[in-house]
Amino acid sequence: MPHTTGRADTARAVVFSPLDGVGRAELVARRLTDAIVTGVLHDGERLPSESQLARSLGVAVVTAREALESLRDQGLLQTKRGREGGSFVTFDTDASARMLAERLRGTSRIELRDRSLFASAIAGTAAEVAVDRASDDDLAALEEIDRTADRATTAGARRAVGRFQLEVAAISQSPRLVREELRIQAETGSLLWLSLREPARRDRAHEVRRGVIAAIRAGDADAARHRTVEHIRSATEWLIDEKHRLDAAARTETSPSSGGGTLPPTD
Amino acid sequence: MYVDVDLPARDLATRIAAVLDPVFAAVDDWAERVGGALARLGDAHLPPTAAELDPLVHDLVAPALQEPDSLVTGAGLVAAPHFLADRPWHLAWWQSAGSGELRRLAVETDPEADAFRDHTALEWWRGPLREGRSHVTGPYVDYLCTDDYTVTITTPVRFAGIMAAVVGADLYVERLERVLLPVMEASGQPATLVNASGRIIASADARLATGALLRRDGFAAARDRAHEASGPVVLDGATTLQACGDTSLLLVIGR
Repeated sequence: MPHTTGRADTARAVVFSPLDGVGRAELVARRLTDAIVTGVLHDGERLPSESQLARSLGVAVVTAREALESLRDQGLLQTKRGREGGSFVTFDTDASARMLAERLRGTSRIELRDRSLFASAIAGTAAEVAVDRASDDDLAALEEIDRTADRATTAGARRAVGRFQLEVAAISQSPRLVREELRIQAETGSLLWLSLREPARRDRAHEVRRGVIAAIRAGDADAARHRTVEHIRSATEWLIDEKHRLDAAARTETSPSSGGGTLPPTD
Repeated sequence: MYVDVDLPARDLATRIAAVLDPVFAAVDDWAERVGGALARLGDAHLPPTAAELDPLVHDLVAPALQEPDSLVTGAGLVAAPHFLADRPWHLAWWQSAGSGELRRLAVETDPEADAFRDHTALEWWRGPLREGRSHVTGPYVDYLCTDDYTVTITTPVRFAGIMAAVVGADLYVERLERVLLPVMEASGQPATLVNASGRIIASADARLATGALLRRDGFAAARDRAHEASGPVVLDGATTLQACGDTSLLLVIGR
């Protein structure tokens, strides 16, 4: 009856549970893969050296090297020798779409919903509290992020969503909400905002930003939370629909009885 | 009756100012010394280089960071864009890393990079530029630089008629609260310390959260009056405002 275990025992279990589910090199590789896949690191950009990377991430140099090797194996990095050498990001839009599709297929609906719920809890509370804490300067900063948002590209739109949510978290004046928001964006952001590849969804993200700014200005905490949470919920539903399409297409492809096998258009 | 209220408010403001004055004095002193060094190292046509300036800034701020139980957790200089001869964007900022060790803050200074942020848009730059004197920013979550919950004091460094840089100090809000709250509670007054925009730094009132804004009509006008008066001025009803020396901070007494 593990689910009837008393609270004290649960707390004890947490204390002695393993610190990391995966190895550190894998964590570093995943962080960098996400950054590349989402366009935070651009195609052709040079990464910091192994030792610089190790220092900034707080890991051993061998760990950083191992992570870079695995990225090289995935074809996300290319190493050039010589004075102008280093590790360069090699990633075009086709590769990006392919990898994200693979990742989406490998993630269960339960996990997608769970990640989305956690993201809503953080971003929603940040928006709610920001209403109480925002000064005119804070509102101006949010306006500026929306004004300069690049709505022409998927990566640009995703950066704008990320920057906006991070600024809202900072306005809430909670260091913990800021840290969690950053972590969620690094770990889940690439997948969660996949819907931004559709221009209509980018316009919607802009509408949501306008709505959240208006709610903060009006002192309406419920509306600020609601608009933030609804946005994440609808992005998640899009994602699950997309996963359904991809899974169905893959089944058709492998099934010998079917003559089909072409992917449905994703846009 | 009025005197009874006035004296403790003034007394408490003096005590709070006494806690913070050494930090303001140190930052002002850095500004003056860096200004002097700029005049020595360069002239209006040939500004100094980051390489010349950095060791000097390090030696200036290190004692404040290394002092045990120091309120200051980060300190240094940020240059105006394109002021230094060798670096268009430059930060010389150090943080205390415990047991007397210092760590230099690494910030993206390449304007082409994704992580680059133009610091001239931030309050700790705009404040001293606008006011021509030291400015208190925060409490704020400094997610661009240090990820900490911080109050930053910045003071302009003038050279050849422009603000060539700011020097400043970061203070952890938590440490500040730990030092200030006992002073406030000992006064027996329902006291709240706010910055010039009315953002709460510390409050003896459990319902007033650090970081929240004290939203009161007429706050700005009362603040300006409080800075001119020697004693407390009325904010509204039974609430008064009292300036804390030259710190730009204000004490709110009452609810």
